[in-house]
Amino acid sequence: MDREWNDSQPIYRQLRDRVVAMILDGVLKEGDPLPSVRNVAAEYRVNPLTVLKGYQQLVDEGLVETRRGRGMFINAGARNLLLQGERQKFLGEEWPRVYATIQRLGLKAEELLIAAANGPRSPDASQPKTAEPNSPESNFKEER
Amino acid sequence: MKSPRFLLSLALMSLSTVAFAQTAPTPAPSEAQKSFDQLKTLAGTWTGPVTANPPQPDFGDKPLWLSMRVTSRGNAIVHEMKQPGTPDDPSKDDPITLLYVDNDRLTLTHYCDAGNRPRMVAKASPDGKRVEFDFVDVAGSTQYGHMHHAVFTVIDANHHTEDWTFMLPGDKHMQAHMDLQRAK
Repeated sequence: MDREWNDSQPIYRQLRDRVVAMILDGVLKEGDPLPSVRNVAAEYRVNPLTVLKGYQQLVDEGLVETRRGRGMFINAGARNLLLQGERQKFLGEEWPRVYATIQRLGLKAEELLIAAANGPRSPDASQPKTAEPNSPESNFKEER
Repeated sequence: MKSPRFLLSLALMSLSTVAFAQTAPTPAPSEAQKSFDQLKTLAGTWTGPVTANPPQPDFGDKPLWLSMRVTSRGNAIVHEMKQPGTPDDPSKDDPITLLYVDNDRLTLTHYCDAGNRPRMVAKASPDGKRVEFDFVDVAGSTQYGHMHHAVFTVIDANHHTEDWTFMLPGDKHMQAHMDLQRAK
């Protein structure tokens, strides 16, 4: 996990978000233990109450469970639960904007299906587009 | 020239005024002031284990440090949850709480690392040892939760406990119980 914190959210929330990202990325798998509150507080030099809050939020969201005397573990189904939430968030918050753009450009369903089949690149393969440095495309390629 | 009788009565009036001023009863300290004075005895550095409710394993192994100091000519107590001697670091998440008497109400303002400032007011302490603060209002966003309740219990000069209740988003409560000994 990154040791840097930003000022946009409380540290406990960022800690929660990092664990969530690790679950979604498969770094933390279902049944895996979470590092102890003591270790996280010491390693990341944060107040133990902050770690407590972050972990409790994960428990409240059903992503983590406490096993008496053994520690905290990623719940079975945690990744699916997160994916479900992220999908709902996409459909509720991002999809309306995407849909409005599709309508504005007059894109047809067939064109969208072809674009989806081709993956995240220009649908016109005869005119390859060079992504500018630091553009979303280039970042995506770097990630691959 | 004034008559002796007039001068005598003037002198008697002056004496009675002085006597009245000297014997006027000092108002008894309010319940809020008594509780505040009790909390002032906790000035110093404290350390001890923390237990959480809902329980979290492995949480109480690492002692928590906090300090309390009386400042502003005795008008405020600064409560800080951090190890003494550590350098000030604005990026750290150690919260500060101010305690003060406001119009006969013992009040607490918690400057939370979540970015808000809840205010709580103490109930009358039945035994003078336990001071319990109830939430009144909060300044700033509560999007990420807020501190909601606090209890200070004085056990003796070198031992006290604190119970802090944080309300997470979704109105889920989380309580931390600190069993604190005065640091040598």
